Amino acid sequence: MRLRWTLATMAGVAVLAAGSLAFVQSQDGAAAQEVAPSTSRDQPIAFPHNIHAGDNRIDCKYCHFSAERSKSAGIPPVATCMGCHTVVAGRNNPEEIVKLREYWDRGEAIPWVRIYKVSEHVQFPHMRHVAAGLDCTACHGQVQEIGVITRVVQPLSMGWCLDCHVSQGASRDCTVCHY
Amino acid sequence: MSEGLKRRDFLKVLGVSGAGATLAGCSTEVERIIPYVVPPEEITPGVATWYATVNPEVGYGCGIWVRTREGRAVKIEGNPAHPVNRGALDARAHSAIQALYNPDRYRSPMVREGDSLRPISWEEAEGLLADRLRGAANPTLITGRSGPSLSALVDRVVTAAGGTRVRYEALSEAPLREATRIAFGRNSVPTFDVESSRLVVSFGADFLEGWISPVEHTRGFAAMSGARQDGAKGKLVFIGARLPLTGLNADEWLPIRPGTEGIVALAMANVLARGGADAGPYAALLQSYDPATAARHSGIPAEVIEALAQEFGASGASLALPPGFTGHHRHATASNLAVLVLNAVAGNVGRSVRVDVADEEAFSAPFSDMDRAIRTMREGGSGAVLVHGANPAYSIPAAAGFVDAFRQVPFKVSFASAPDETSALCDLILPDAHFLEGWGDSNPRPGIWAVQQPVMRPVPHFDSRSTGDVLLSTLRRLGSEPGAASFRDFVRGRWQELHASTADAGGFESFWRETLRTGVATLAAPAASPAALQAPDAALTFDPPAFDGAEGDLFLQVHPSGRLGDGRFANRPWLLELPDSVSKIAWHSWVEMHPDTARERRLRNGDVVRLRTAHGELEVPVWTYAGIRPDTVALAMGGGHEHYGRFADGNGVNAMRLLAAEVESPSGALVTQALRVSVEGTGARIRHATIEGSADDRDRPIVPAVAVADLGHGASHTAEGGHGHGLYELQGGGGFIPVPTEGRPEDFPLEGARYGDYDPAVNPRWAMAIDLDKCTGCSACVVACQSENNVPWVGEDQVRMGRDMGWIRVERYWKEVDATHAGPVDVRFLPMMCQHCGNAPCEPVCPVYAAYHTPEGINGQVYNRCVGTRYCANNCPYKVRVFNWYGYTDVPEPMNWAYNPDVTVRANGVMEKCSFCTQRIREAQNRAVLEGREVRDGDIVTACQQSCPAEAIVFGNIRDPQSRVAQVSDNERTYRVLDYLINTQPGVNYLKKVTFHAVDGGH
Repeated sequence: MRLRWTLATMAGVAVLAAGSLAFVQSQDGAAAQEVAPSTSRDQPIAFPHNIHAGDNRIDCKYCHFSAERSKSAGIPPVATCMGCHTVVAGRNNPEEIVKLREYWDRGEAIPWVRIYKVSEHVQFPHMRHVAAGLDCTACHGQVQEIGVITRVVQPLSMGWCLDCHVSQGASRDCTVCHY
Repeated sequence: MSEGLKRRDFLKVLGVSGAGATLAGCSTEVERIIPYVVPPEEITPGVATWYATVNPEVGYGCGIWVRTREGRAVKIEGNPAHPVNRGALDARAHSAIQALYNPDRYRSPMVREGDSLRPISWEEAEGLLADRLRGAANPTLITGRSGPSLSALVDRVVTAAGGTRVRYEALSEAPLREATRIAFGRNSVPTFDVESSRLVVSFGADFLEGWISPVEHTRGFAAMSGARQDGAKGKLVFIGARLPLTGLNADEWLPIRPGTEGIVALAMANVLARGGADAGPYAALLQSYDPATAARHSGIPAEVIEALAQEFGASGASLALPPGFTGHHRHATASNLAVLVLNAVAGNVGRSVRVDVADEEAFSAPFSDMDRAIRTMREGGSGAVLVHGANPAYSIPAAAGFVDAFRQVPFKVSFASAPDETSALCDLILPDAHFLEGWGDSNPRPGIWAVQQPVMRPVPHFDSRSTGDVLLSTLRRLGSEPGAASFRDFVRGRWQELHASTADAGGFESFWRETLRTGVATLAAPAASPAALQAPDAALTFDPPAFDGAEGDLFLQVHPSGRLGDGRFANRPWLLELPDSVSKIAWHSWVEMHPDTARERRLRNGDVVRLRTAHGELEVPVWTYAGIRPDTVALAMGGGHEHYGRFADGNGVNAMRLLAAEVESPSGALVTQALRVSVEGTGARIRHATIEGSADDRDRPIVPAVAVADLGHGASHTAEGGHGHGLYELQGGGGFIPVPTEGRPEDFPLEGARYGDYDPAVNPRWAMAIDLDKCTGCSACVVACQSENNVPWVGEDQVRMGRDMGWIRVERYWKEVDATHAGPVDVRFLPMMCQHCGNAPCEPVCPVYAAYHTPEGINGQVYNRCVGTRYCANNCPYKVRVFNWYGYTDVPEPMNWAYNPDVTVRANGVMEKCSFCTQRIREAQNRAVLEGREVRDGDIVTACQQSCPAEAIVFGNIRDPQSRVAQVSDNERTYRVLDYLINTQPGVNYLKKVTFHAVDGGH
């Protein structure tokens, strides 16, 4: 009996990735919440939101062009980037601008890694939230202070949505978002 | 190690690593967001863009709007500006999306090498075509229906190649065209105005499903026969051996012996002429066809014919419709002529029958041309044959020998975009672009022109090329300069000429742009001069035609399928799974037989029988049907494909296998109704794949009716049927804020309790009204709903197990159908979808609150909450909840492109049902908020309502007394299904069907 248990344990442990064990060791702390939300993957171009939205105070909706009129906020076409970067060469990371121009010259779209995503059974209309006077930072955080966004810090959970819906007097009906 | 790691720890590790593995799984699948490089001006991500174009596949070319999202077509709707269909569509028009994204489409041009096809480049393929055409003697182009521009281009190619053009249409109206020529001296197919008639007599034409322009006819019919507020109602009499969908909507049926409709028409004209009507050059002929003669031949008593004729003459707005496809017997032209003569004698020509000059020539292409071409091919007289828009290897009776003759042609080319039986024989395949990807035009009738424009880039999975462009390149290669760089320029050039011929003062550019925007241009039609009867220039026999076969055999009626037509729509799962409007059977074929005949022959519903004629035999299950004469059996076309794609192949039988290849004189039509068939049991038996539970309402008021004589007398205001009461709702647990209480009765309503979100003062109550007196059972709503709501298809076996997924079904109940004598017909259709009950039985039984009542009165279904207990479906008295037993939504690429991105695609294990098109409600609400206004009545149009040609469905907020749904519901005919019995308070109000005959107890 004892032998079998040991074998099972060894087999189980062998299957586990080292990362999981490291995770267990940190279980005592409150780290569990940190890991749960999204992923961290390298963006094709290290786009710094803090330089654009922070230092240069470009309005979010200049690039995310359809947030006011569509469910989708809109990811800027390469042409939008080139509107400035035809002349702006970038002081801090000129090599990133070079990458951008290469995409443009090749006529290729930039395959951005998606960071913010609600589940597929949720319909999130950006325009209704913008129309309600909500600031982008209410859901996306202080984007203007973050360099390259690699992960979601908000829970993006239903309870989190509902907290705001309740406090703002917005609908709590399920079929407002789920259909 | 085992010392240090206890069992508890192990489980902890296991649990966490499970989570870790899930996370790792997620993180390897990085989702990419691909932006545009340069954004197209007309596209906003997340917002639909609509294009107007035309659907050349169906009837007279319905104008359509195509909803595109991020550059791909997802839904087809009728174009309200198009005068033919005025915003509505039939089931088939919706299904074009499934042809566009059909996984069986050819992926590139192909050339035959031995038994297989090898992909080649377009350059190579077009070069090969031109080379072979140059060297070929008498190249033949077989074309089906094509728009005027493509047709003109085909003619130029035929001239340049020194060949012949053969028009071929399996569902030809050649006898009607020929009869019109004989009667009025005009080579055209008349247009029939059903809408402004008061008495319509159809001599067999199934004008509500498939005959010439069904969408337009259905709208006209609903307007004619739908009861008005004042109780006025038009009447339809159906004359024929079998009731098709049109017959099920008739008020009376004269079940005549097959082939005798011409004689009945002449007898009716005889009665009118005796009464003083002018029969012109036909006066002498009519004298020999009195009602007694017609009675002898048709089996209908003379006094019935006499009375109908009197009513027809006295109606003031009558219309006789020709025999249609089921009248293509050996005297088809004479029968059509007889009906036209009846119309002329009754004074209908120029009123309800208009004989203008229409140019849909392919529509009435005689089979004799094809017959000649087959002979030429057999004799080696065609060096090359090109086929576009037709599938003769499937739709011509085998006895004609098309396949053998075609095989002898040295070079055979197909322009089919997806495989068919003809392209399977071809040496070169040049896949045409789908009509949603290419240019073209249509001219359904004089003065009405429509542009067919691409609504999206070609689907990237398929390297197709528009046949127009291929023909232009062929012309160039043959050394003839076409004068246009692309087919788009060619079409535009022709429209420039068209514009120049009009008095339009504006420039061509604005005219062209406006036409592309609206989808249709109405130009001045050539003035129609009155048509008058002419003496016949051909010797015609009006006596009943002969039928081949042994005496004891049954007359065989072969008719187009309501869903699959002549078989051209057969590779579209939406249509395969759409239950036939008459039999309610999906996927497979059946032969219709009167129950008495079946009993005599010891056959039961579902017994597989062998049908045998001198030309072929088929095995097919029996479906017993009281709407067919006991001496007749009927078989629909469209099944039995062999090379038509993964969905079509192997379903049902091809009725054309039983037929001879006989040509009718003088029209040249293929004779399809000239045989008797022997029927014998095989001993095998199947269960029909049907959605029908019962066709009998067992005298419960599920589909009550009211007699036209009782209208306005309040006779239907019974406790069961009608009510003028409001719609009550139990608000459900979710709406109230809980308040602590001792529970004493006198404490209620509780202090502090409130409605929460469920405040009737601020919320709408979405509801629907369906007028059953208008509904014809055409089932366009079913496919429209499937397309809009990502409703999957499940396949024949799953349908047989009752797992069909339709959110809306059209139930059909028999009340009065008797094939043994002339008399009333009473068949009732009931479109059944979720009733959105105010007191819904499904809601309280859901253990996870997935089924719940929304503040807007909708019965909500939250997919992500559903755990699949199916309690709700078991507790639903309407059987409208459907369950995803398997992952039905995993469809072959690129069919998933057809999914509506605004609606969740459901996985297996989830219950679903009609949502009243919640996504459209939200869209209207979103739009209203952006425009700073309230939602207006009419902003929200559900998919079924949008498609309905009869305009039987109305949707809106019933709490608003000014809304259309409230006003339509405020009618003495209003009732709610089963409400009287179980107090479900349904949100769907039905308006009872109105009958001419008395009905028992209001139902």
